[in-house]
Amino acid sequence: MTEIIVIGAGLTGLFASILAADRGAKVTLVTRGRGGLTLSHGCIDVWERSTPSRALSRLRSNHPYRRAGLGSLQAGLEFLQALGRQANYPFIGSISRNLRLPTALGAIHTTAIAPHSLALGDLRDNTPIVIAGVDGLRDFFPELVAANLRRAGIAIDESFQLPLPMPPTQRDRYSIDLARSFEDPDFRGEVARIWKPRLSGIKRLGIPAVLGFKNSQLVHEEIQERLGVTLFEIPTLPPSLPGLRLESLLHRKAMELGVFVIEGPKVVGRVDGSTTAPRVSGVVLQTVGGPRTLTADIVLLATGGVLHGGLVFQQDGQVRESVLDLPVIYIEGRAQWTVPSPLDAQPYASFGLSVNDHMQPLGADGLPIYSNLYCAGGLIAGADRSEEGSRQGIDIATAYRAIEVALG
Amino acid sequence: MMQPTITTDLCLKCNICTSVCPVASVTDDFLGPKAVGPQAARYQHPLQPQPIPSLTWCSGCGTCSRVCPHGVAVAEINIQAKAHLTKQAKTNLRDHLISRPELLACLAKPINFLANKSMSFGLTRWFLEKSLAISSSAPLPTFARTPLRSQLSSKCVDIPPDPGPDADQVVAFFHGCSSNYYEPEIGKLAVKILEQLGQKVIIPPQKCCGLPLQSNGLFKAATRYAQANISLLAPFARRGIPIVGASTSCTLSIKHDYRTVLGLQSDESHLVASSTFDFFEFLTVQLAHEIDQLDLKPLIADALYHPPCQLRSHGIGIPALTILQRIPGLQLHLSESECCGIAGTYGIKQEKFQVAYEVGKPLFAQAQQLEVDFVLSDSETCRWWISKHTGLPVYHPLEIMAKAMDII
Repeated sequence: MTEIIVIGAGLTGLFASILAADRGAKVTLVTRGRGGLTLSHGCIDVWERSTPSRALSRLRSNHPYRRAGLGSLQAGLEFLQALGRQANYPFIGSISRNLRLPTALGAIHTTAIAPHSLALGDLRDNTPIVIAGVDGLRDFFPELVAANLRRAGIAIDESFQLPLPMPPTQRDRYSIDLARSFEDPDFRGEVARIWKPRLSGIKRLGIPAVLGFKNSQLVHEEIQERLGVTLFEIPTLPPSLPGLRLESLLHRKAMELGVFVIEGPKVVGRVDGSTTAPRVSGVVLQTVGGPRTLTADIVLLATGGVLHGGLVFQQDGQVRESVLDLPVIYIEGRAQWTVPSPLDAQPYASFGLSVNDHMQPLGADGLPIYSNLYCAGGLIAGADRSEEGSRQGIDIATAYRAIEVALG
Repeated sequence: MMQPTITTDLCLKCNICTSVCPVASVTDDFLGPKAVGPQAARYQHPLQPQPIPSLTWCSGCGTCSRVCPHGVAVAEINIQAKAHLTKQAKTNLRDHLISRPELLACLAKPINFLANKSMSFGLTRWFLEKSLAISSSAPLPTFARTPLRSQLSSKCVDIPPDPGPDADQVVAFFHGCSSNYYEPEIGKLAVKILEQLGQKVIIPPQKCCGLPLQSNGLFKAATRYAQANISLLAPFARRGIPIVGASTSCTLSIKHDYRTVLGLQSDESHLVASSTFDFFEFLTVQLAHEIDQLDLKPLIADALYHPPCQLRSHGIGIPALTILQRIPGLQLHLSESECCGIAGTYGIKQEKFQVAYEVGKPLFAQAQQLEVDFVLSDSETCRWWISKHTGLPVYHPLEIMAKAMDII
């Protein structure tokens, strides 16, 4: 049985672990804390600026999508959607046409695939919309959402606040607090009873994403039916439920497939210190007790870019890869890393590892550094994933390709 | 190794810790690990600590530190702040008593039988609740007739044996208070399993690990125990003898808390920490070959395995799984809860009992829903607590392993 170590438990690492375990490998997933997925919107952005399926074939050859191949993206997305169906958490959409979903600021989030309860808020659908906040939840302002959407030309009938049958609290209510309450059938029954009279004549209602955590599809279906409106969710500030739900879904699936998850330690290097060996025989974990070694046939880095700890931007102007100190493609000089407007494309965002079509990190000579080392996700150079709106698509495509080649 | 409070600046306030905190998810009396910890600790001078009273609700399960993706020592910051809170509050006799299992065993020794009998007596428990605020519904252990050390006196040594030809197969067993005073059978089984796997087991001199004192904010006394253990165990570690414990919280203290929470940083403490192993960690990492050769007998049963929060904090994954999953006929289900609620001495306090119970409720429900024959958990207090609330037998995974090895 092939043994593989996956480092990082964001979308890339979790997805790669599931794919590998599904192909019969013995997988150990090591993560320092919960991955970035917990802070995401839970959708799969593939290419924001135009229709993904058309745009992607015209990218430059060092773009991660071109390296992984569009076939890997397609196959990966199908696999993910199948996982969603199995877990009764269906994902809607495709790369042939983007969805347009409202955000908690009333901006428009263009994404390829979204969970069902979010996808019902697609702004390409002309059914009139009402936006409501819920009492006690911080940082969701229905008037703000409505005003900004109107500014973008979206017709919003009304915006208001809905009450919740909850006693006053000692502290701020987080989305997850409300989601846990919604898991209780009595609570959501009471909510439906209170809300219903307020909603007469309304066809489509958008509320912050609080409709359950582990059984969210059931919670959503039930409350929607009782209210008699099309009810959609808008992701709140992180940790937002759609991100938490996707993380939990993938985590559970990985455990179910026998992935051995090690949560907590940082990976601090290779088992043998030599940098000339042709293979990585394993990695060293910094556990609370001290260093422990872990060996395997294959190692996959899914540690992410600078936001997730895979890359370290140093004061001295150097950029380093945090686990194995692999060579990074970057621009010298900190002044060159950013442009003045934070809303423009940022040079630093494209820093990362250079890889071949097998997702193997390359050295200065253009050859794979280690024959059994692969990488996927935000660690790969050549894409400004925020600017492109391609973050999750790249995670899925590169993870799929890496596992396909590594376990081929 | 960073001082916990220094890591405060690494906090992004992402609230991943708050969203998974077992206590914050059931009561809003607890403001959440981030709010009372890294957030409150900012701009505080170490000499002028201002702990937030809501901290007393923290159970110390450590989930927050484990899930933090940025290396913030959330739980450690919080327990240190709790110690300041304890210092400011007036002395709580109950907390001093329940934190000293060795003292309790000493007091009970001459009247062992009577002490056990009276503990199961409603009037005694009523009195304990009224006088000491020890919940009358919480499970309290009974004292064994003969402590483990007396039963295995031939294995007890004061100094490490001279290195002989089989030096690399000597293991020092850290039994902790529970195996010594309450459940010697489990300690004896642990020794038996190690011996069956070709190890020569010795029992080094040792004190209570001090964790109960530390959890109750009584750092001065906890530090005395910690220092004693470091000096007692160091000669063994220096000889290269691994220190193995079957109670996950004791081994976590030695590996981690002594150095980070109590600040005992020395060559000795580092050596003792890196020589210490959880029982199943030792088996799966150091004795992997012997384990592979094991012929495990079938055990037809459905079991729910709840790895204790303290075990998860070791950052070694859930090593017992590797062995349990190999037992033919054993249908193993994995707990979906981060913590069972008891968290050492937390749940036995009258004012905490209800919250601790709410924390454990999803776990108890899972056990009932799956209709398992028994539950498994590596920590003694978890076992007593889960058994109390599910009515099911709860075993240490090593008991099941011993069964499958046909040594009980």
